Amino acid sequence: MSKKEIDPELLNWEWEIKPETSWWNLNFKELVSYKDLTLQLARKEFLGLYQQTLLGPFWALLQPLLTVITYVIVFNRVIGISTGSVPPFLFNLIGITLWNLFSEMFLQTSKTFSLNIEIFSKVYFPRIIVAISTLWLQLILFSIQLLLLFATYLYFSIIGDLHFDISRIFLIFPIIIITTGIGFGGGLIFSVLTAKYRDLTALIQVVIRLLMFVCPIFYTLSMVPENMQWLVIINPLSSLFEYFRFAFLGTGTLNTFLLMYSAVFMVIIVCFGIMLFNKMSDKLIDIL
Amino acid sequence: MSDIVIQAKNISKMYQLGSIGSGSLRRDMQYWWEREILKKENPNQYINGSNKIDNADMIWALKNVNFELKQGEALGIIGSNGAGKSTLLKVLSRIIKPTEGIVRGRGRISSLLEVGTGFHAELTGRENIFISGHILGMKKTEILAKFDEIVNFSGVEAFIDTPVKRYSSGMYVRLAFAVAAHLEPDILIVDEVLAVGDADFQKKCLGKMNDASNKSGRTIIFVSHNLQAVNNLCTNALWLEKGSVRSIGNTKSVVNEYLSTLHKKSSIKEFSTLNEAPGNDFIRVMYIELIPDLLDPNEVLDIRTSLTVKFRFYNASDNIVISTDLLLFTLAGECIFDIPSKPATYKKGFIEGECKIPGNFLNDGSYSFTLHFAKDTSSELFSYEECLMFDIADYRENSNWYDKWWGYVRPDFPLLLTPTGNNLKSL
Repeated sequence: MSKKEIDPELLNWEWEIKPETSWWNLNFKELVSYKDLTLQLARKEFLGLYQQTLLGPFWALLQPLLTVITYVIVFNRVIGISTGSVPPFLFNLIGITLWNLFSEMFLQTSKTFSLNIEIFSKVYFPRIIVAISTLWLQLILFSIQLLLLFATYLYFSIIGDLHFDISRIFLIFPIIIITTGIGFGGGLIFSVLTAKYRDLTALIQVVIRLLMFVCPIFYTLSMVPENMQWLVIINPLSSLFEYFRFAFLGTGTLNTFLLMYSAVFMVIIVCFGIMLFNKMSDKLIDIL
Repeated sequence: MSDIVIQAKNISKMYQLGSIGSGSLRRDMQYWWEREILKKENPNQYINGSNKIDNADMIWALKNVNFELKQGEALGIIGSNGAGKSTLLKVLSRIIKPTEGIVRGRGRISSLLEVGTGFHAELTGRENIFISGHILGMKKTEILAKFDEIVNFSGVEAFIDTPVKRYSSGMYVRLAFAVAAHLEPDILIVDEVLAVGDADFQKKCLGKMNDASNKSGRTIIFVSHNLQAVNNLCTNALWLEKGSVRSIGNTKSVVNEYLSTLHKKSSIKEFSTLNEAPGNDFIRVMYIELIPDLLDPNEVLDIRTSLTVKFRFYNASDNIVISTDLLLFTLAGECIFDIPSKPATYKKGFIEGECKIPGNFLNDGSYSFTLHFAKDTSSELFSYEECLMFDIADYRENSNWYDKWWGYVRPDFPLLLTPTGNNLKSL
């Protein structure tokens, strides 16, 4: 074979595998080409959740219902937190629905590596596909819970004197987006950290539990004593709960500045999460 | 040159031995802080007084691997365990990043490093075909188009709507492989997935792969210990040894070269002093050798070759009844035979032994000898386990059957078929 050296750069290669990973190499075209896989993974998880169960997808409703009942008994009946003219059941359900969105999004995304390492070590696809499919699945589960919330809301607005305002309700969409983003971004960061340092898995549980108490879920911001309010306010999730409740009930402490703070926080954490995930996902395979 | 579809240039992969990373968040943070922010040259000298990335702690699983493949070629990667075959496949499949070097290519690449990747035990066969297909890189339309073919190939039609956790392991593997076998990438990377399933199914799989490279012009990279399959399927072979390319080129010549060195290793053990020699107060084994009956020493020991085992040992006790057993084991540890010597009384001193094993007796595979010494045919004096390891290569004439030949022995007993006419009544 007569070896005529041709500069390899001249040949039009379609792909390359290089040692280094850039921080920001999200290839949207590639991600879109994996949309079948994304949906299939979400479908698999969804179907897997409810195989050989008695109630199937109704679990998505039962879980918040039982939590609400517990909260009503503990916080409203036993401790005696007042929800004003709002039925305690509806008040708590609003908070819990949004909280479930955040906590499930965060928790499930943070398991991206630990649950899929077997697949990751055998086949290549952009690792973030799994996280994105988790995102979709959690949004679907959330929308089931949202339906429950709407049904409850309608029930109370028919029998009670809740003031239903159609214009307010659209506020929930930006709130849902910001909450989802914070949960997703945080989950991505923790998926990398827990893959590398196993003991942080225990930390996640603690973080979620503590966060829950500094989120105005079963109380409102206005109930918090002035000198303690900063503790709730620095939590970027807090204003989201106030706005979410306002969308339904028309009451709450609204502060555009705090909402902007949450939104900016969301953008930063999502970007940082994606960058860290991209950068580390190749290295982690060597460690796991 | 333009039909080269994959090109690997100086691929190297380094692993750190022991625990990777310091394992503690605090130390990693400190390391990162000092290296990235303070720009210290060697932060770990600071932390624990010694260089963390010490040469002794590094292992190059791959070192400067280069190759090119043209469209339609099939490359077989061979080498002993730990030579870096799987690491190379993982780099080529984009699962792990190389430490150095670059791989470039053209076209869709699919890797089969395992069957049933992504299967969900709770879901039905039908669901799993879609899941596995998608994970392996198929599009929904492709899977739909090939669905019936896949089900047919797997032979589990009746159970397609049963959760795969209720499948027998054979059915599970067949279904998993059926999905994989219908992949149509431009470059297919296959690890030893063929080591699964029954012989019939294996044959089907190899046939399918043969079709893929010969008829469809697909490029295949294939790792296997089954040299017969490599010989049959691959146009080129790459022999990896300790992470480096020992030889690359035409399959036949690389495979033969590989086999001939394989059989030279550890076919003799000799010790010059009693203290060095393995044994105990009663017995010391001074020498043991496996001598294949080959005219040309470069030829390969295959199933036709007869073997002679010679050994010499020192008996340290006077007037005892000694018997020696020569045992042959498979790699899996199953004993194939145990040949005892006649028990006899021996004086203190050296004793030699010899045993001849005829050709056309053992099947191809890896084996090991164990020497066992007994007193009065009952109490053990010494057992020299796995004293010799060797491989027997396959040899077949006029056979299209290229899967592993069954059985541990492969005797040449005549099996005769005689036509007896077609008159049923004469039975």
